[in-house]
Amino acid sequence: MNENFRIAQKLGLMFRPEEALPTDIKRWAIKQLQSPSPSLGIGNVGSDVKPWPKIFQPSLDEKAVKLRIHWETIKRERKKEGGYTEAAQRANDKDNLMYKKDILRFSHRNVYGSDQLRLRLMSFWANHFTIGSFDSREVIGHAMEEAILANFNDSFSTMLYKVTTHPGMLSYLDNHISAGPNSNQVRWAKANGEQAGLNDNLGRELLELHTVSPSANYTETDIRNAAKVLAGWGIDIKGNPLSSLKEQGGTTNLWDMYKRNWAEPGNKIILGKTIGTGKGGLKQLTDFLAAHEHTVMHLSTKLAEHFVSDVPNKTDVNYIASAWRQSNGNLDQIHTAVIERAIASKEPKFQLPMTWLFQVLRLSNATYFMGWNEINTSNNSLKFNMQPMQIFDELGQNLWAERQPNGYSSKKEEWMSGEMFERRIRFADSIWTSDSQIQSTSVIMDRIGASNETRKLVESLHGMSSRSKKNQFIALMCSPELMGLENA
Amino acid sequence: MPNYKLTRRDFLKASGASLFLAGIPLQGFTQDKPPGKISVIILEGGMDGLSAVPAFGDPNFEKMRGILVPENYLKLNSFFGLHPSLKNLSSLMASNNASIVHATSFPYKKRSHFEGQNLIQGGGLTPFSEKTGWLGRSLELAKIPGRALSLEMPLILRGYGENDNFFPAKIDQSSKININLVEKLTAAHGKLGSDVFEKVKQKSLLTLENMPRDPQSLAEYAGKAMAKKDGPTASVIRLSGFDSHASQDDGNGNDHGIDLAKIDGVIASYKRGLGGAWDNSIILTITEFGRTVAVNGTRGTDHGYGSAGIIAGGAISKSRVISDWPGLAKNDQFEQRDLMATIDYRSVCAACIEKSLGLDHDLIANKVFFEPKLPRVFDYLFS
Repeated sequence: MNENFRIAQKLGLMFRPEEALPTDIKRWAIKQLQSPSPSLGIGNVGSDVKPWPKIFQPSLDEKAVKLRIHWETIKRERKKEGGYTEAAQRANDKDNLMYKKDILRFSHRNVYGSDQLRLRLMSFWANHFTIGSFDSREVIGHAMEEAILANFNDSFSTMLYKVTTHPGMLSYLDNHISAGPNSNQVRWAKANGEQAGLNDNLGRELLELHTVSPSANYTETDIRNAAKVLAGWGIDIKGNPLSSLKEQGGTTNLWDMYKRNWAEPGNKIILGKTIGTGKGGLKQLTDFLAAHEHTVMHLSTKLAEHFVSDVPNKTDVNYIASAWRQSNGNLDQIHTAVIERAIASKEPKFQLPMTWLFQVLRLSNATYFMGWNEINTSNNSLKFNMQPMQIFDELGQNLWAERQPNGYSSKKEEWMSGEMFERRIRFADSIWTSDSQIQSTSVIMDRIGASNETRKLVESLHGMSSRSKKNQFIALMCSPELMGLENA
Repeated sequence: MPNYKLTRRDFLKASGASLFLAGIPLQGFTQDKPPGKISVIILEGGMDGLSAVPAFGDPNFEKMRGILVPENYLKLNSFFGLHPSLKNLSSLMASNNASIVHATSFPYKKRSHFEGQNLIQGGGLTPFSEKTGWLGRSLELAKIPGRALSLEMPLILRGYGENDNFFPAKIDQSSKININLVEKLTAAHGKLGSDVFEKVKQKSLLTLENMPRDPQSLAEYAGKAMAKKDGPTASVIRLSGFDSHASQDDGNGNDHGIDLAKIDGVIASYKRGLGGAWDNSIILTITEFGRTVAVNGTRGTDHGYGSAGIIAGGAISKSRVISDWPGLAKNDQFEQRDLMATIDYRSVCAACIEKSLGLDHDLIANKVFFEPKLPRVFDYLFS
């Protein structure tokens, strides 16, 4: 592949046919960090690409209101004779749940957006800060865009604080029900014979996964103290009316819900650092953890593993870590360092199934995801009947799936299975078959500057039939070059 | 002051349950028949052994466990009981087809799910030290390569090369794989990629009906498949929901008993599916760690160390509770908070491999668990 596409593969999602190719790929890549793109997509299969309508991009408040209506509808329907019927459930989900549109919007952005490098980084951080429960899926898209993407031109500590306090994370890791052992809530509960107290789930993962990692040798006391700092944060936005949520949270902002009566009074010591009492304690803690040397090394390594090489060398990791230290965790500087190392390293990087799918669609200009007007209809063209959720489930990588908080691995060995490879063949087949207007294999090869080995592979499947053309397309997309693997 | 109803939430609920069948013979591949079948139920999240198998005989039990002491427990002997959700297991115990190992663990004490899950599947000496799994290595030693039924390849079943996986896909607009295409891809890829494409060509002998999704149907499906002539030798079912940080007993019956009942149902369904093959089958549970002895603030328990293991199947001829009981007094607990483990659970796995796959204990100790001095507990379980 020529240098433009080699870098677009490693760090981005490939250039679409209508995109002009940069003259200086490194400058282009670094400039991408400052070039946001609106959420682009299509209303219907075949219609023009344009920004998603505002009504499909609700705020947290609007989502909470809809969730409340959703819940009230369930309760009302259950009281009716015959109970909550399947038809009523479908109608309720269609009117009041947003996650299917969120997944489609995420997919459209990745296929049509001009900010490919930022989108790759967004997926990386969304996987690092996995939110993966049924209960939180309505706000996963919000967390990705507002807690992660929106903070790219800020610092890691800002992103860490915004993610940690996001209602999705707080409910996914049980924090909204955790109360300090010496809080008013616990005293009140004990007097009434109720159970209330600390839950260390988020405190543990904040240290183990999100920041310092087990290499910091923290103790159970550190974990417990982190949980005490977190106690009081979060409310279940699903079951409560908006007004009551705001009253209990002591704020009008759903992203800032802190229940004073649930908080643990007093200072807490975590990894030797004293954290003050009260609401401000959490920011103190996340700032401390964000700047911790073990966080810098843990995340520099993780970034290098994802974008530079499965087994990054010390130079790569130290380069990123030193950019981190020198800039006090400025994400622009960290991401720039990642870009520089990824370009400097000539090693191919295996592309995970989701990234690969987006890259295939952008290279071939295929329409594969339905339009936003078609998501809840069943009478659209049969060819585009696969819901985005199903597409990602079948691919084996889905940022909306219920899963463990450690996320997907960046290492190829985790993805080397016959079934995973067979699915790439079948998806390439499905994409080719779904869109007759697709870019021809030879045009794609010329544009990316396909290697001689890739051309030989494609040529070996030459034939006059339409099946041969399809097999050539599949072979190109599953070639070592486009999967990011070594040649024979 | 508002009172929040605690709702049951488990973060480790990946997708309810998943099934992996392994050792499914490939076309043209002959093999010696192993003496039995082995199934592993992975309890993800860290099962609370003291909830599943309460130690009523311990003088500190009721004091330490408070609201988590189950009512109407099923009596096993003068010291141990079973949670009321484990009714089927109780009758298997009564008919000498099941045993319990208590106060046991893999050698892992650091309470991280991800390190722990890696260790109990990899079976190495430390987390992330192995790229293959203990069951996968055992199957290869028994010369039973084959395929696992799953989209991903679970670590526990990974071997050094011959094991692979498959799973029925639902991808619109895609047709049968063209073998010529796959051959060309195999030739074009370097070793890593071509090894995998090579496997895409091999088709399994097993024809698949529609795969069910709930754990009990999965177990019955697995049992039926294993009972077939060319059926798989091993299966793995992953059950989630054991990370009971909250509402382990919410007082409304909507509690951890539901998750324990899943284990009970899965074992019963295996038995139903296996039919006559039950007699030479072994089913065992594994979990990444046990939990704190004391109750936490949200009616649950936090990550701990020692837990309990359940072993069932017709290959057992005498039911026992096998334990070197450490006690529950504060000073008897691991780090004064968790149930101590006094039996290395790898020994239990080794005994089950020995019984089902007919491998020698020393071979298992050396080549599967890399622990030449691993104690042999076979006689406690199978004599």
